[in-house]
Amino acid sequence: MLYNIAHSLLRDVENVNAFGLFSLIVFFAFFVGVLFWAFQLKKNYLNHMSDLPLDGGEICKSSTDKIQSEEL
Amino acid sequence: MNTNVETFKYDNRIVRAFGIVTVLWGIVGMLVGMLAAVQLFFPDANLNLQFITFGRIRPLHTNAVIFAFVGNGMFMGIYYSLQRLCKARMFSDFLSWFNFWGWQLIIVSAAITLPLGFTTSKEYAELEWPVDIAIAVVWVAFSVNLFGTIAKRREKHMYVAIWFYIATAITIAVLHIVNSMEMPWSWMKSYSMYAGVQDALVQWWYGHNAVAFFLTTPYLGLMYYFLPKAANRPVFSYRLSIIHFWALVFLYIWAGPHHLLYSALPDWAQSLGMVFSLMLIAPSWGGMLNGLLTLRGAWDKVRQDPVLKFMVVAVTAYGMATLEGPLLSIKTVNSLSHYTDWTIAHVHVGALGWNGFLTFSMLYYLWPRLYRTNLWSTKMANYHFWIGLLGMMFYAIPIYVAGVTEGLMWKQFTKDGFLQYPNFLETIVQVVPMFKLRAVGGTLYLVGTFLMAYNLYRTAKAGQFEPDTEAQAAALAKAPVGHGKPSWHRLLEGKPLFFTVLTTVSILVGGLIEIVPMFLIQQNVPTIASVKPYTPLEVLGRDIYIREGCLGCHSQMIRPFRSETERYGEYSKAGEFVYDHPFLWGSERKGPDLAREGGKYPDAWHYNHMDDPRSTSPGSIMPRYSWLLTQKLDTTSLPARLNALRKVGVPYPAGFENGPAQNDLQAQAEKVAADLKQGSVTAEPDREIIALIAYLQRLGTDIKSAPATTAAK
Repeated sequence: MLYNIAHSLLRDVENVNAFGLFSLIVFFAFFVGVLFWAFQLKKNYLNHMSDLPLDGGEICKSSTDKIQSEEL
Repeated sequence: MNTNVETFKYDNRIVRAFGIVTVLWGIVGMLVGMLAAVQLFFPDANLNLQFITFGRIRPLHTNAVIFAFVGNGMFMGIYYSLQRLCKARMFSDFLSWFNFWGWQLIIVSAAITLPLGFTTSKEYAELEWPVDIAIAVVWVAFSVNLFGTIAKRREKHMYVAIWFYIATAITIAVLHIVNSMEMPWSWMKSYSMYAGVQDALVQWWYGHNAVAFFLTTPYLGLMYYFLPKAANRPVFSYRLSIIHFWALVFLYIWAGPHHLLYSALPDWAQSLGMVFSLMLIAPSWGGMLNGLLTLRGAWDKVRQDPVLKFMVVAVTAYGMATLEGPLLSIKTVNSLSHYTDWTIAHVHVGALGWNGFLTFSMLYYLWPRLYRTNLWSTKMANYHFWIGLLGMMFYAIPIYVAGVTEGLMWKQFTKDGFLQYPNFLETIVQVVPMFKLRAVGGTLYLVGTFLMAYNLYRTAKAGQFEPDTEAQAAALAKAPVGHGKPSWHRLLEGKPLFFTVLTTVSILVGGLIEIVPMFLIQQNVPTIASVKPYTPLEVLGRDIYIREGCLGCHSQMIRPFRSETERYGEYSKAGEFVYDHPFLWGSERKGPDLAREGGKYPDAWHYNHMDDPRSTSPGSIMPRYSWLLTQKLDTTSLPARLNALRKVGVPYPAGFENGPAQNDLQAQAEKVAADLKQGSVTAEPDREIIALIAYLQRLGTDIKSAPATTAAK
């Protein structure tokens, strides 16, 4: 049924360029939403997230770990 | 506060296994690339063996580098970082190893089947249907392992790298399934379900997004993990990484049609592809800057540490390639660059710079840690860096020059309005020196990779492998651990399932808007009454054309430019391809376009040209196809082929394949043999060359004939 509806809607759309416009509007709305999202995030949360890769929870067992972390 | 600290072990064996095969397959993929590169200036380098001829090993090279080298590198990085970001061992060791061995089996099957000529001809999706099924199974195993690990994580939040891994797992599954819809006609061969323009759109929706979601998103995730690790400082802006992720995931999927500009694809789809490609610059550069700025205050380390050196070049190459990509999507730029070596240079900046160098940096980072020692030789790693960088330059610069030269020469008119270089061969002979220089660049890059392999081997010998790394973390509390009032995004990425659904919706929106109208609107592919299905002999000839990978060098799509119509004839119409399962437009011209090849030369010319291209076209770089002159045509599978084609929509009459088709085939084969005799060539009518000539002579001739009485549906 959905196919038929979409088919009848689209078949007569001579000017399918509207798709381009529609796509841009969808993306613009999406992008603004993401921006809004990103900018209301709290500083302490962002700091916590940024630090995640730096603490892998490994237990430091030998001196080589120390050498590596000092060298790199 | 949760004090329930648990001790657990990270699995290093699987990381090491993927690391080893990354290096091995990387070398194999690059060697095959070298063999292909050499054949472009020394065609006899194929040793007159069909199995290692350019058309067959080009897809082997691309598949090996993408799926074997980068694919294994991706798994290596994901299996290492995911465990540490989730503070949990992988969900299932069995699935980890199933993923590993399954993937290697797929690679081996590709290494066997592609040289044997089993190919769908769709770029980066050449593997035939049984292998496609195997890929789907292994990918599901990987995805279950990924989501299972995320589900049992001890860290409440999913770091941005994991988002990229999720997007990769989902999108590759969707792309692979949609593009691999095919109708088998033997245990190793099939025809695409889609035809012509629709097949092209689906293929390049896949092809473009395979680059996006196999070569880019997982590697961005790895960049967001390994770069801060190596620099020992947090990512420059986590906020920017959020915007980077969502914008990229949403935008990338729309841009596929930029591979089909000025083709018979409807104009609206082309414009959509171009606009969204241009918009991609923003998130891509946001990501690149985020990576580079992570090194703020640590540039002194870049001078010392080869890991960071490789990373800086990788991220810069990512930035360069993602600026160039959108620029190449501008229709006017594309009119010059498309089909030329410019595209080859562009993808190699991405492959050698972004993927290659990031993979090297991960290997140099991981090996000393897995073996609990220091890198055997930092000096050798630095040599690798400089040799690799030099190799990249020697590869890219000559090929850029070649690409622009080709584009300009194809379009050059004399002041009297004639083509300046009417013989296509002139334009290729001109750039052969560039092909030679490119091979030098490739060799340097390969030498660097060998140095790395030796360095890693010595590092492993000097250290002691740690199969499991012990770690500790608090068990995940049921209630969210407070960082103030929970925000939308925090709630979202705390719920992997919801996050996954949203990511899926993001990629599907673009895909559906792009593809659905193509299948629904009749006027997108206007039928042409005189376009008829291929005859049985031509079907066999077309399959030989596919087997030999002819489309690796010859396009079948004349763009509506005067420079093209003057050279090749009437520009290609969408309606000419309605029976093309699969489409064979190609993406590269090392030889002339063949869309209107039919009737241009006598049959005998084609025969002699296939036997030895330089006998008819002195200076040609086309390989000899002398085996086609002796190999017998496989007519036994004709009914299966015609039946499969009918099932995907080609209107062969019922029962045609059982008797009439064989008679039709014999009659046409004998006619070709008789024509050859007139050209002083004696050939048996049951040889492969006969079918190929029949196919080539058919190309583009339908619209020249008088309109037929019945419309082709």
